Amino acid sequence: MPVPISEASAISPTMLAIEAQGLHKVFRGGWPTRRRKEALRGVAVAIPRGAIFGILGPNGAGKTTLLSILATLLLPDAGWARVLGLDVVRQARALRARVNLASGNASFLWALTAEEILHFYGRLYGLYGRGRHRKVQALLERCEIEPYRRVPYNELSTGLKQRLSLAKALLNDPEVLYLDEPTVGLDPDIAVRIREQIASLRRERGITIVLCTHYMREAEQLCDEVAFLREGRILARGSAAELKREIRTGDRIRVRLEGPVPALAGLPGVLEATAAEGVLECVVDDAVKRLDDLLGALREGGAVVRDVRVLEPDLEEVFLELAR
Amino acid sequence: MSWRAEAARYWAFVAKNAIMTRRSVFMLFEVLFWPCVWLVSVGLLTRFLELRQEMVAYVLVGVISMSIIQVCHLDVAFALLLDLWAKSMKHQFLAPIHQGHLLLGHWLMGVLRGIGVFALLAVFSAHAFGFDFLRAGVGPLALFLLGLFLNAAAIGVVVCILILQYGHRAEVAAWSLVSLMMLVCGIYYPVTLLPGAVRWLAELLPLTYFLEAFRAYYGFQPLYAHSLLKGYALTAAYLVGLLVLFQWGLNRARRTGLLLKLSE
Repeated sequence: MPVPISEASAISPTMLAIEAQGLHKVFRGGWPTRRRKEALRGVAVAIPRGAIFGILGPNGAGKTTLLSILATLLLPDAGWARVLGLDVVRQARALRARVNLASGNASFLWALTAEEILHFYGRLYGLYGRGRHRKVQALLERCEIEPYRRVPYNELSTGLKQRLSLAKALLNDPEVLYLDEPTVGLDPDIAVRIREQIASLRRERGITIVLCTHYMREAEQLCDEVAFLREGRILARGSAAELKREIRTGDRIRVRLEGPVPALAGLPGVLEATAAEGVLECVVDDAVKRLDDLLGALREGGAVVRDVRVLEPDLEEVFLELAR
Repeated sequence: MSWRAEAARYWAFVAKNAIMTRRSVFMLFEVLFWPCVWLVSVGLLTRFLELRQEMVAYVLVGVISMSIIQVCHLDVAFALLLDLWAKSMKHQFLAPIHQGHLLLGHWLMGVLRGIGVFALLAVFSAHAFGFDFLRAGVGPLALFLLGLFLNAAAIGVVVCILILQYGHRAEVAAWSLVSLMMLVCGIYYPVTLLPGAVRWLAELLPLTYFLEAFRAYYGFQPLYAHSLLKGYALTAAYLVGLLVLFQWGLNRARRTGLLLKLSE
């Protein structure tokens, strides 16, 4: 059941970049036996203008399906979605001029160079003459692909292909940008640079960004709000902090100690305790409430406490808890 | 809406196909190699069979027409085929374009390449086989070529519709549909030689009428009255129907998710 953390309904509709209700999508395929896969089951989202909204979930959760409907590439079977006030089905063409998409596994025509690809898509977005040349040049520089402008697409590295995909997605100065796994398969240093570019896009231009990822840290670092999707349903939605607070995974207390480790099983509020090489890790229901009792029990048991840390849960733990 | 922005959308596809032709050996073969091989081999066959000059003209009109259609229809089919191979289909449909931009843009490139192929083959066949392609005059020749180009557009759109329906499995249609027309429309022989049911099929295809109309200038009595008019009327009807079907196919691909699947 969805956890209604952010009060989207309190936001005026004009402040919303994206609003969707009851989105359903079923894929049918296979022959002679027909397969039926429910990709979305009544998904609702409300994303304020200028926000970075993360859609998280395991493979096959329905993330790309949701993104594709919002990007007008896929028609929903039921429900509705409006992006920038335009219906994604009935006003698709008008909407396409104002949104764009970059995906981590993007692919373009193999024989075209990076520069030619940007000119081609630039023309499709109605850019012409010197304006298009200036735009392409600016994007080649912004996305750090200028030195590779004359390299054919099939000779570019994965990182460059992903940066080119991002550059292509910025050709029409989109008001809403969809990013589908933008850092998948990238070296950490390149992934960091792409994340910086995403953050700067919002900072500089106020673009609304919808980010599909299964990297929890990426979502935590970039997103104002995230939605956990599993088997076509949103399980929870809210900011990272709200989710951590609401989806209690327990607080983690790490104690470095010397001496024997007493049994903590019977101690109230202790959910789990593991000890190894002088480090005790306890999961408790509430760190503030249980810390004194825990330290008291350790001292009574003859242990000497050298260091205590209360660890914040991360989104990954929230996700694992939800996926359970 | 700015006319320059609109023109840029059409031109995008012309420019893309021009670059791909320049860079791809496969596409150069389609434009130059096969049409030349075809013309030379059939031309030499007419010599071996010691055909009269008007019969040579009859056969060469067919050969050159097929080459033009083959080249031009492929360009229209490339509207989806290239992106199918590159797995980049979704990006062009994400842009604010309509089917007119996509198909007309590719067709324009097909016409340019078709004119190139025609010029090459006409000059070559004039020198090698004494064939006069201008005997009908510039006007009738232009009308004949336009008919061929529109025919090619219709076949190319059929290929695109099949791709939107069957994905990769429809690739084979890009080459086989034209060969099927060769069999039915009287490329090498008059359609009177065809058995009843197949002849009925030939009469449904505009290419049959365009060939009839043009061969009349080389002394062959046309089988049908107002061949050129019938050819254009049929082509127009097919094109309108096919454009509606294309839009339907595109919506269907959006509904079934095939558009996304073809981009993976």
